[in-house]
Amino acid sequence: MMDPIPAGGDFLTVLKAHGYELAPRLAAVAGSVQPTHATTVLAIKYKDGVLVAGDRRATAGNFVMYERAEKLLNIDSRSILAIAGVPAVAFEMARVLEHSFKYYQRSQLQEMSTAGKVRSLSKLLKENLPLTLQGVGTVVPIFSTYDEAGKVFFYDALGAQFESADFAASGSGSLAVRSVLHYLNSWGPKPLAKLSEEEVTVIALRALDTAASSDTATSGYNAKTNVFPNVRAITKDGIHEIAEADLAKLYRSEV
Amino acid sequence: MTEEPYRWVEAIANRREYIEDQLARGSPIVLLNYADGLLLLTVSRETRKIFEIYDRIAFAALGHPADIERMRLAAIDLAHIEGFNRAVADVALRRLVNFGLSPALKTAFEQVFNAPFIVKMVLAELGDDADRDVIVKLDYDGSYGRSEIEMREPFDVVAGTRPAEKAMLQYLIEHNGNSKRSLDDALRLAARTWAVGMQIAERGKQEDEREAKLPEDFDPVRHLRDHLKTRHVEAAVLDRTQTASAKFRLLDEKEIRAALKDL
Repeated sequence: MMDPIPAGGDFLTVLKAHGYELAPRLAAVAGSVQPTHATTVLAIKYKDGVLVAGDRRATAGNFVMYERAEKLLNIDSRSILAIAGVPAVAFEMARVLEHSFKYYQRSQLQEMSTAGKVRSLSKLLKENLPLTLQGVGTVVPIFSTYDEAGKVFFYDALGAQFESADFAASGSGSLAVRSVLHYLNSWGPKPLAKLSEEEVTVIALRALDTAASSDTATSGYNAKTNVFPNVRAITKDGIHEIAEADLAKLYRSEV
Repeated sequence: MTEEPYRWVEAIANRREYIEDQLARGSPIVLLNYADGLLLLTVSRETRKIFEIYDRIAFAALGHPADIERMRLAAIDLAHIEGFNRAVADVALRRLVNFGLSPALKTAFEQVFNAPFIVKMVLAELGDDADRDVIVKLDYDGSYGRSEIEMREPFDVVAGTRPAEKAMLQYLIEHNGNSKRSLDDALRLAARTWAVGMQIAERGKQEDEREAKLPEDFDPVRHLRDHLKTRHVEAAVLDRTQTASAKFRLLDEKEIRAALKDL
């Protein structure tokens, strides 16, 4: 009998064959560890694609761990993973994803479909179940990409995926962000999908500022340290960063 | 039979002959430097022969398609695991070949009761500048040396027979001209060099390597055009000017045709 023909193209399978484990099964609940958390991220569909933004604070309990955390991770030339939750696991997932997409494309000689990419992340979240259940490695990401149009997917901690119609927010400040965005989208001067890049950037900055006003784990713009949120746009031409100089200008005039 | 050393040696020699017979008429590959990086070119019928391994590493091979595929996937696996476990900058072609691909090929070749790989490869790694480009030729038995002549040049060739490789190298050295050539010029030179190699490789394995001379009136352009009636030029670049971390780009048909319009 012939050996089963390997299906191929799955990087996680290759990694596992070399002994890799995304989420080790811990013997006991690690109660003494206070994991670091990344807080508020959001994604909004606008006229040219998707705008993704995240504040820069990472916290462990009520301790501010880091004020310059990067929560937007470019996965390929037109996909961004925005992470809320434990960065240790989230960065690892981003790394696996980035290599998974490259690996698939190079080994299978075609690019992975958007549905395939969305599903890959879902599988990683499921892999992470042991850490999620033990409360030390929960990740709740937003995956944004451009595929004929801007697309936004959000996940729960167990890996269920949902496609957003207009926007998504995740992390401790997400409740405030979602309320603001829902209000603006329904009763604002124009729906979010009609906004220009500059208009949607202003909305994103205001939403993060709103979250920071009630959620101590979210930082708004910090004038003293001059740290700005990360804001990136995904359009048909790929990903571009909204420059800090532009954000500074908008903060002065609009926020 | 392998308990007797001389029979093992005999088996290996037979194996070598068998593999070289299989490889002899394969379509040659040209690896040529140009202003912005490295160009890989061959002429193929259906299956692709030139591939991306990692951000800065490309691979081209002749031989049995299934064996090319196995080597290609092995290289991709090794490179991606290294890139994942460490960093993109740690994926190095020399280590990939010396510690990964070459020992595997040698083992397969020497296990005389199993099928060997029928494959001959060239791999290239794009450096930050041209001086740091790395070229490795890897043979079916795991050996990966370049000849003394090859070592002096920023280009290389792979063909089914040694005389074909020799003639191609000689042609390249004679027509080398400017190493800052444009991509179009590089495509034209590589395509003509391919025709030179194919002319000799077509004769298959020969008893006397010195006999491998091109006919007096040999015209590489005409020879290439003959082949292009049933085949197509396949070419890819590792391009230093690409802003993304991945430097590999397969050239599309239109681009190739435009460059080869006036050879």
